[in-house]
Amino acid sequence: MSVSHSGWTVKFLAVVRYELLWNVRKKKFLGMLVVAFALATLSLALNHIAYALGGPPVELNPDFVINSNVGLGGFVFVLFAIVTTMNIISAEFESGTIVPLLAKPVSRTTVFLGKLFAAFLTLLATYCFLMIYMTVGGFLVFGPQNNLHLVPLSLVGALFSTLIWIAIVLFLGTVFRSSLIAAFGTLGVWIGTTIIGSIIGVLAGQGWIFTYIPGSGNQGFANGGPSPFGPTGTGVSTGTDSIGSNLINYILHPSWEVTYYKINIGGTTPDQIQWVRLYSEPFSNIILTSIAVALIYFIVFVAISWYVFRRAQVTE
Amino acid sequence: MEFVIEATDLTKKYGSLVAVDKLDLKVEAGTIHGFLGPNGAGKTTTLKILVGLLKPDGGSVSILGQELGWDNPDARSRIGYMPELPKLPKHLKGRELLDIYGRMYGMSKEAREKQVPKLLDMVGLKERGNDLTGEYSKGMQQRLGMAQALLNEPELVILDEPSLGLDPVGMVEIREIMKEIAKEGVTVFLSSHLLHEVEQVCTNVTIINKGVALASGTLEQISAKIRGPLILEAEVDKLSKTVIGKVKELPFVANVSKDGKKLFVEVKTRDDVRSRVSQAITAGGGIVTSMNLKGGSLEDVFMGLLAKNQKEEAAK
Ligand SMILES: Nc1ncnc2c1ncn2[C@@H]1O[C@H](COP(=O)(O)OP(=O)(O)OP(=O)(O)O)[C@@H](O)[C@H]1O
Ligand SMILES: [Mg+2]
Repeated sequence: MSVSHSGWTVKFLAVVRYELLWNVRKKKFLGMLVVAFALATLSLALNHIAYALGGPPVELNPDFVINSNVGLGGFVFVLFAIVTTMNIISAEFESGTIVPLLAKPVSRTTVFLGKLFAAFLTLLATYCFLMIYMTVGGFLVFGPQNNLHLVPLSLVGALFSTLIWIAIVLFLGTVFRSSLIAAFGTLGVWIGTTIIGSIIGVLAGQGWIFTYIPGSGNQGFANGGPSPFGPTGTGVSTGTDSIGSNLINYILHPSWEVTYYKINIGGTTPDQIQWVRLYSEPFSNIILTSIAVALIYFIVFVAISWYVFRRAQVTE
Repeated sequence: MEFVIEATDLTKKYGSLVAVDKLDLKVEAGTIHGFLGPNGAGKTTTLKILVGLLKPDGGSVSILGQELGWDNPDARSRIGYMPELPKLPKHLKGRELLDIYGRMYGMSKEAREKQVPKLLDMVGLKERGNDLTGEYSKGMQQRLGMAQALLNEPELVILDEPSLGLDPVGMVEIREIMKEIAKEGVTVFLSSHLLHEVEQVCTNVTIINKGVALASGTLEQISAKIRGPLILEAEVDKLSKTVIGKVKELPFVANVSKDGKKLFVEVKTRDDVRSRVSQAITAGGGIVTSMNLKGGSLEDVFMGLLAKNQKEEAAK
């Protein structure tokens, strides 16, 4: 029997269907939609809530949608990556369903790719839903919006930002065959790079390292300069989490330069804290670097997972 | 003779434990071949190697005339496999699961629409096809496991303890199915530790213990190896020369002797010939009051072999 191309497609789509039907019925996936919906609603309603609690009145903001990054940010990327991916390989081993699955005449590479593709589709559907909801919601709450044609860039950026985490979840899940290690391991990586990373970066002036690590990356400032109270201008994160907003900002302000600082704590009183200018780079550098970082991490971790899965012995 | 499974020197270790030890296995086309052994003998391990779930540490396997390399979907497309206590994805309905597995076999829509209801009916799940497999009882999961092994009209069906967890009716049904598909020319290779099951359905048997094949051949050969001929012991009223003459005329009778009212018939076959013998007795004017099959069952053979194996090990 020869393996024709259409034969391959049929089998690949069978795996995708297997996975999607499973995803759609998982309470976790429904939970993910609810969380996405809740987060988006919260960011839309935040100003109204603040007003109700005695804050300033809600003003129209034509840049709300474009600056909202479709309601997504660092932790949400990690969360969605974990929810879409923590089960695709490891849970099959944990539940033993891998046994009848891998006994079917579908190559392991096809199973692997089909599952990954299904995770991607799930993510894409969730993000599209979020994007539409945020755009319509933003319009209703904050009035007519600027630059709506750039909103799909946030979606593309968000996908890049999440893929890197998906690859890490997949890697941990495949190597350890444990959904828990996949989920908590990835959370650990995120906490390590994001929270601890940004503190070290600012204090030690070694922030550039974080440009090459998934997450929020280094912090710099564009369109401003030093002042007695620290740098002014727009804060820019160089990390893979910010690909979407950086892409949009780059199109709106192609000539921006981003400057990095470090903090010297010279004495004990606040006025002795010094912001020392380190270096500057063009905005385009940052975008290219973070996309390259996202792709390289994705390719490396997916390739290792694929290699491990292809060779995996089913002892379950 | 054509062999659908040919394994030579097959070896599989889990760490330092040798689960399968230089096993030679030959399964002839068109037979129902039992793989008989106590718990932990290495049956499941061997079957998993045959379907490509485990990689052997030594030896070679060819399936349906094809060398079994690692991850060989081509070979799997002609095999059906029912795992031991099959674990099926809980979030799929019985019908959906069969349909998706059918797609993985590359079956056309028409083929799936024909096979899926037919198989659900065959394993007695016609009424439950639209329920999630997670809601199935253990026996129902076992039945669905059987159905999915027959989806692609395989040339070889590998069943790991097919009657495990089934009620008596289910056991009979599964045996009927095995006989049915064997009639259509499908080779059935099943593992079991139920001697009477093997005795009832199998034409051939391989006995395995501690990863070593102790004996292999047709049921008659194996039995003959260990014990004398099979004796049918009948108590007969009006036991005359004519009766003995009639019985001697039967083609499968090797020898006949009598002791008072008792008639001893030595038979050359493993088929159940009690009714034919009793017909011959009646035809000769005798009246059968009781009838027993003597001479060890497979159980005697099995226990005998195990005891011998243990003695040999102790002597080492
Ligand atoms: N995943 C595993 N890790 C380590 N050892 C294993 C593993 N699976 C099986 N074994 C060992 O390999 C040997 C053979 O096991 P196997 O499951 O093949 O036996 P079996 O004949 O199918 O037994 P049973 O009748 O109980 O199903 C046993 O000693 C078992 O403990
Ligand atoms: Mg077993």
